[in-house]
Amino acid sequence: MSKNNSLLQIREVSKIFSRGTVDEVIALDNVSLDVNTEDFITVIGSNGAGKTTLLNIVAGVYPPERGGKVIINGNDITNIGEYKHARYAGRVYQDPRTGTAAKMTVEENLAMAIMRGKPRGLRAATSKQRRELSRSVLAPLGLGLENRLNTLVGTLSGGQRQALALVMATMSKPAILLLDEHIATLDPKTAQIVLELSETIVAQEKMTTLMVTHNMELALRYGNRLIMMHEGRIVVDMNQEQKADLTVNDLVIAFERASGRKFADDSILLHHN
Amino acid sequence: MKKNGLIKILISICLVLALATPFTIGCGPAAKYKIGISQLVTHPALDATRQGIIDGLAEKGYVEGDNLEIDYQNSELDMSLVATIAQKFVSDKVDAIVSIATPNSLAAIDATEGTDIPVIFSAITDPAGSGMVADWDNHPNENVTGVSDMIVVQDDVNLITQIVPNVKKIGTLYNAGEANSVFLTSKLNEACDALGIEVVEQTVSTSADVLAAAQALVGQVDAIWVGTDNTVVSGLEALIGICEDNQIPFFPSDEPSIERGGIAAYGFDYYDIGLQTGYMVARVLEADDGAVSIPVEKGEIISLSVNTAAAARMGVTIPQSLLDVAATTYEE
Amino acid sequence: MDFFTSLMSTSVYEGLVYGFVAIGVYFTFRVLSFPDLTVDGSFPLGGAVAAVLIINGSDPWLATLAALAVGICAGLGTSLLNTKLRINALLAGILMMVALYSINLMIMGRSLIPLLREVTIFDQVAQVLGMRADINLSIIVTVVLSVIVLFVLNWFLHTEIGLALRATGDNEQMVRGLGVNTDMTTILGVSLSNGLVSLSGALVAQNQGFSDVGMGIGMIVMGLASVIIGEGIFRPRKITTILLAVVGGTFAYRLFVGIALRLGLPPTNLKLITAVLVIIALAIPYIQKKLRHEWVPPAVRM
Repeated sequence: MSKNNSLLQIREVSKIFSRGTVDEVIALDNVSLDVNTEDFITVIGSNGAGKTTLLNIVAGVYPPERGGKVIINGNDITNIGEYKHARYAGRVYQDPRTGTAAKMTVEENLAMAIMRGKPRGLRAATSKQRRELSRSVLAPLGLGLENRLNTLVGTLSGGQRQALALVMATMSKPAILLLDEHIATLDPKTAQIVLELSETIVAQEKMTTLMVTHNMELALRYGNRLIMMHEGRIVVDMNQEQKADLTVNDLVIAFERASGRKFADDSILLHHN
Repeated sequence: MKKNGLIKILISICLVLALATPFTIGCGPAAKYKIGISQLVTHPALDATRQGIIDGLAEKGYVEGDNLEIDYQNSELDMSLVATIAQKFVSDKVDAIVSIATPNSLAAIDATEGTDIPVIFSAITDPAGSGMVADWDNHPNENVTGVSDMIVVQDDVNLITQIVPNVKKIGTLYNAGEANSVFLTSKLNEACDALGIEVVEQTVSTSADVLAAAQALVGQVDAIWVGTDNTVVSGLEALIGICEDNQIPFFPSDEPSIERGGIAAYGFDYYDIGLQTGYMVARVLEADDGAVSIPVEKGEIISLSVNTAAAARMGVTIPQSLLDVAATTYEE
Repeated sequence: MDFFTSLMSTSVYEGLVYGFVAIGVYFTFRVLSFPDLTVDGSFPLGGAVAAVLIINGSDPWLATLAALAVGICAGLGTSLLNTKLRINALLAGILMMVALYSINLMIMGRSLIPLLREVTIFDQVAQVLGMRADINLSIIVTVVLSVIVLFVLNWFLHTEIGLALRATGDNEQMVRGLGVNTDMTTILGVSLSNGLVSLSGALVAQNQGFSDVGMGIGMIVMGLASVIIGEGIFRPRKITTILLAVVGGTFAYRLFVGIALRLGLPPTNLKLITAVLVIIALAIPYIQKKLRHEWVPPAVRM
């Protein structure tokens, strides 16, 4: 793994919740990770492994414990407010409703995304120019959304909202794209559509991506790098060649070897068809 | 479509109700006079005033149901209704508006500006101070008059000198936020200055402050007088307790307070004030220029109430001459 | 003026002047999802500030503007309590409302300031137009002011900042992820809202002839009732029509009040009637859906 091209550097990041109480849990335990430009990293792990916590720290929802650092393109973004992370990270959530605003129209949602990270003034939010931009961005999705700019987002289906959320997360090109189990709640057909969309957009925009998934098969099939987390630590980190010919079973064994215990999470194994 | 249908139904209901209303009020032969009575809130004093007004008008020949129609509206302390009620009376073109309490009097006067509807207020302490009339006797520009329940502080001070002959210092408590109280306190100072008596003042913000304020007057004064201050009157018992414990004679300004333990006071019976107002309304209805030439009056019927037991508890005796003329004597 | 016209005139005037309160309430409760109870305190604040300035010789228009500015400060107080001290929104509003009661008394120096002998904005306009300062004049003034305010608000809500404000109430998490400082948008929205409410208080005080410290009691209920009735009757979808519907709802509410008064209903029952009206307006959509077999229970009990 080469160190030049390092877009995102996570240095010795830990996160402890409910510190000092009976419920204290170490969600992240001294994690370090270098993400290179144009990496497409799939992140897997059992529940509670720390995947979402890691994403939250990159997105700035909360800061890491003292001593940890998050650096993007040379900028130390460890302790700046969540809203200031917008320029650096775009995120698609598991719930399609979290990534879009139901009471506003498609056009207005995209207008919000167009202004990602930029100061907002008193110009009209929607303009002919922005409308054109919105249409051009929505048309390739093949969902007909470009003709429904004035539709209230709340009336769209889950898949449509998620596709919209994907577009909104990548518009105005943030440095890194965070996909947080973003197809988990969609039906298989829609999930497939959104997944392919994700792949297309990532390739087109040359986005650096972190994709959290529960599905080991997907983790193997997509991306150029695979990370497996367990109990707040990264236990497996393999590149393209290493994961090229692996099967899910191989992955399970690799996990057991690395973490020193039997792999006991049914939900991941059951995803294997 | 369902939505349009719903709107139509609601609008029709509104229209029907609005149009039906004139037929529900004032059924029967057309009344000769129509009066709107605006009251601020349900309260024994205000209710008694209203009853007095109605009876007073009846005495002068204006009987409700006969040749008089009364539209009584009570805003129950809802300020937004106060203006609505005044506006309603103006739109209904009543022959006169009678208003009981300050906010609704102000609203009525404001709403009738430019019309020829006279406003007669009742139980307002300081009508000139609130701008209702330019002057009590002479108000050619205002079609407004009424009866005030302002007490004559001078008379109260004289009462004190009769019961506490060597009084040199009189203490008082009041809420500086109540305009009437500030006014009355200045009158107290006036009356006492004329007699060479010193006044010691204590202010309170809430009735909870009364105890401490009363405490502060102990050893400083020979007697305590309190005006018609709502805040102090709410915390009266605390004040009376201090006075009894320290033998300081206490003189309130209204009869209910005598019953609670004050020594003596000249007071108004609000029903009497209402009667007086009723007579005045009759004069307004008969005058060519409404209320313009009718001077504001002070409540005429002032009665003396005394409490002999309270006097004894506070170390003084009420002279027989006063007991003879007292309208009400409490002995507990 | 015949009976029907007089009922309508009063309701139109009241619908417009209290409409500002309803718009302010709509802004916080619906657009920002911020349940702001400051209203009961900021309404009399506007009346107090305007009254004190007017009796001290100030130009009534300046006094009214000052009331607007001070109202914005009140909203600032509430929103700062919420964003900087992390005090729950409902509690922040209540605390501010309680504090304002004392502040209003301090500003006025007493519990009631009469404005009968003062020149108000209504008097000035009456003079300019050569009209009497009656209900029709009041309507003219409030119509003009309402149109101005509605235009400005509508334009603002379609700007970039305005959009961010609307989005904050709709989906705060998403909005933060897109780079909006939601603390700022909350402060902006709550401040503006209370500014409008204070403006209403200043207008009402000047029109009715006095400012009273108890003027604001029940304003939040009136505002909410107006918003809910407006939404129930007009069912608006876009932001522009929503603003109009809210003012329409205020008109409808005051119309019912006027009718109730004329029917001789005691005002103590008015609060009950208000509650019933709001219940009806809230229940209509649910009942309609049930009749059409379209009702789906929500995942979480609301």
